[in-house]
Amino acid sequence: MRTPRTVGAVTASTLTLALALTACGRSDDGGGAGEAEPAGSISEGPATGTVEIWAMGTEGERLPELAEQFEADNPDVTVEVTPVPWESSTEKINTAIATGEVPDLVQVGTTLMSSFVELGGLAPTPEDVDSGAFFPGAWDTTVVDGTSYGVPWYVETRVLYYRTDLAEKAGVDTPQTWDELKEFAAGMQDAGADHGIALQTDGDGTNIMYSPFYWQAGGDYMSDDGTEFTLDNDAQVEALDYYASFMAEGLAPQRLVEDEKIQDFIDGELGSYVSGPWDRANLLATAGDDFASKFDVTPLPADETSASFIGGSNLAVLADAENPDAAWKFVQFATDPAVQVDWFEISSDLPAVQASWDDPALADDESLAVYGDVLETARSTPAVPTWGEIDHELNLIIEQVVAGNVTPQDAAAQMQDAATSIGTGLD
Amino acid sequence: MAATVETRPPGLRAARGRAPENARRRRRGLAAWGFALPFTLLFAVFMLVPVASSLYMAFTDMRGADLKTPFAVNFVGLDNFAAALTDPKFLQAAGNTLYFVGVAMPLTLAIALLLAALLNSGLVWFRSVFRVGFYAPVVTSIVAVAVVWRFLLQPDFGLVNSLLGVIGVEGPRWLTDPTWAMPALIVMATWRNVGFSMVILLAGLQGIPRDLYEASALDGAGAVRTFRSVTVPLLRPTLLFCAVITGIGYLQFFEEPFVMTQGGPLGATNSVAYEIFNQFGFGNYGLSAAMSYILFVAIVILSFLQFRLLRPKS
Repeated sequence: MRTPRTVGAVTASTLTLALALTACGRSDDGGGAGEAEPAGSISEGPATGTVEIWAMGTEGERLPELAEQFEADNPDVTVEVTPVPWESSTEKINTAIATGEVPDLVQVGTTLMSSFVELGGLAPTPEDVDSGAFFPGAWDTTVVDGTSYGVPWYVETRVLYYRTDLAEKAGVDTPQTWDELKEFAAGMQDAGADHGIALQTDGDGTNIMYSPFYWQAGGDYMSDDGTEFTLDNDAQVEALDYYASFMAEGLAPQRLVEDEKIQDFIDGELGSYVSGPWDRANLLATAGDDFASKFDVTPLPADETSASFIGGSNLAVLADAENPDAAWKFVQFATDPAVQVDWFEISSDLPAVQASWDDPALADDESLAVYGDVLETARSTPAVPTWGEIDHELNLIIEQVVAGNVTPQDAAAQMQDAATSIGTGLD
Repeated sequence: MAATVETRPPGLRAARGRAPENARRRRRGLAAWGFALPFTLLFAVFMLVPVASSLYMAFTDMRGADLKTPFAVNFVGLDNFAAALTDPKFLQAAGNTLYFVGVAMPLTLAIALLLAALLNSGLVWFRSVFRVGFYAPVVTSIVAVAVVWRFLLQPDFGLVNSLLGVIGVEGPRWLTDPTWAMPALIVMATWRNVGFSMVILLAGLQGIPRDLYEASALDGAGAVRTFRSVTVPLLRPTLLFCAVITGIGYLQFFEEPFVMTQGGPLGATNSVAYEIFNQFGFGNYGLSAAMSYILFVAIVILSFLQFRLLRPKS
């Protein structure tokens, strides 16, 4: 008899507590993102104490090797690296920020920065860090609402993988313009491929694959002051029209099955596709090292301008870090041009620091040089906390355009509506 | 005795009697709470608090960024519910979910009943082999199942389309065709879940007394009549149980689209649970909590209808 009454009382008191506490509602000064603390500076002298770092995927596995160098340079410091799987990284970091039990330094995927900033979890970058040392597109990913909250660590960008044997057979040169890319794909098909090119038609990542074409047509996602979305314009219509035309004209699979792409490319059924630096290792692992002579990479074509998508990871110091000074010293160390080259040799991650690309280890490799060039004009999607949701909407709209259900004009308007109604989340 | 007792002042007697009685009762009460405490605490922490906080979320504009200060949010009344019910994506997901439940639930129960009846009457020697065989998908990880089914449904060389090719039918591109993606997932979900209902129904069938069948045989009833007049009525409680459990599971349709189609193509396999998952991922805690409560109400309604429809007739 007693239990239900007590349960009721507990529920009621929980709710009352909740109501009482919420009576005040949101404070007027907005969310955590707006209140950037003034950026400090990094002290002189060697780092001391313990630096706890969370790193994801391969980086998490390889980072201890780099950390040993840092420990050798700074005898009084201990670096503890905790590998975190990519899939659970957002939750883990969110929980850490909410509870205040945080590491000192964390690796953050470039597209995830703004959501951690919105939570108030990341510390602003000290003034001593030189933003000009990095690829501009990479630096942009650290900036949320005008303040930088981390430093680019490594980058990746998208290029066109193509079959050199098919291109030779078809007698086509690597495409420089939109029209040439069309001819290139058609030539690949004449040379025996089922499809000249593969472009993502649906699902996560569709907008990332489409974005270079939008930028190339002269479009941009946000106004220069970063307050308004600018998605409904001629560039969007042209780019959507161009992108969907590959599927409509049978130059690209009407619906791309991602898992089959690599195998089709190896079998010569697919002439070219857009991907990042990691796919070279994928191709060689699947097809054997001999396959290296049958493919190459080339920059995506240019229209009004040349552009690609830039991704990768940043290093960010947590706002509640116990040892922020040593953490920033580690960031300084990891983004030193020479150390960036060391890290490239350890992990194959491409350096985010431009000066590192002059090192023979990178400069002497022709296919890497393509990435170096592309990175100079590569751009990132807006660093606003709501981008994940907007990106999802854009994926769905692009899917409809590719399927021929929505015209590019309507799609551009729908994109603008969706983005505006979701908002930037920065208020 | 009676007279002496009655001469005592009434209050004194009452007081003397009550004191040890109360203490004993209090001790017993404390002991009872002591025993109940571990459960009560666990229940409060892991059930009541999440339920209360999700309900609270559903009526506020809480977002992912409010994790650090969950009480500094505004109450928005029923705005989240209104937003959900006017969102075309949520409505499409709701339609998809109803389509899925409407087809997959009767299909699962019918096949489970058929298999159980077959295992109960014929196939006695291999019963345990078949029982294990049909139950295996229930306990197999969805990740492994997804890999196998993607091979089966592969349009060019998958087993399903190869078999269809043998009889001269060109199979559709199952998972990427907006019309055929949902039927493919319905078949897959049925295959995954039929074993559970089958085992329960088989146990129910084995609980029906043999002599009832003998009696109906003596009365000259055929197999169909026996099934309708003996098996089904006596199996009603078991069927009800299977229908409710399956219905609750199917309304929360999530795993199949998550691993097979990501809700596509063109949103054709997006489900309510998947949309809730997405909205939580986007940090729209208020909206997704409201969607969860809409799904909860749908589950209550479906279960209620099933109880009305399948309750034992006495």
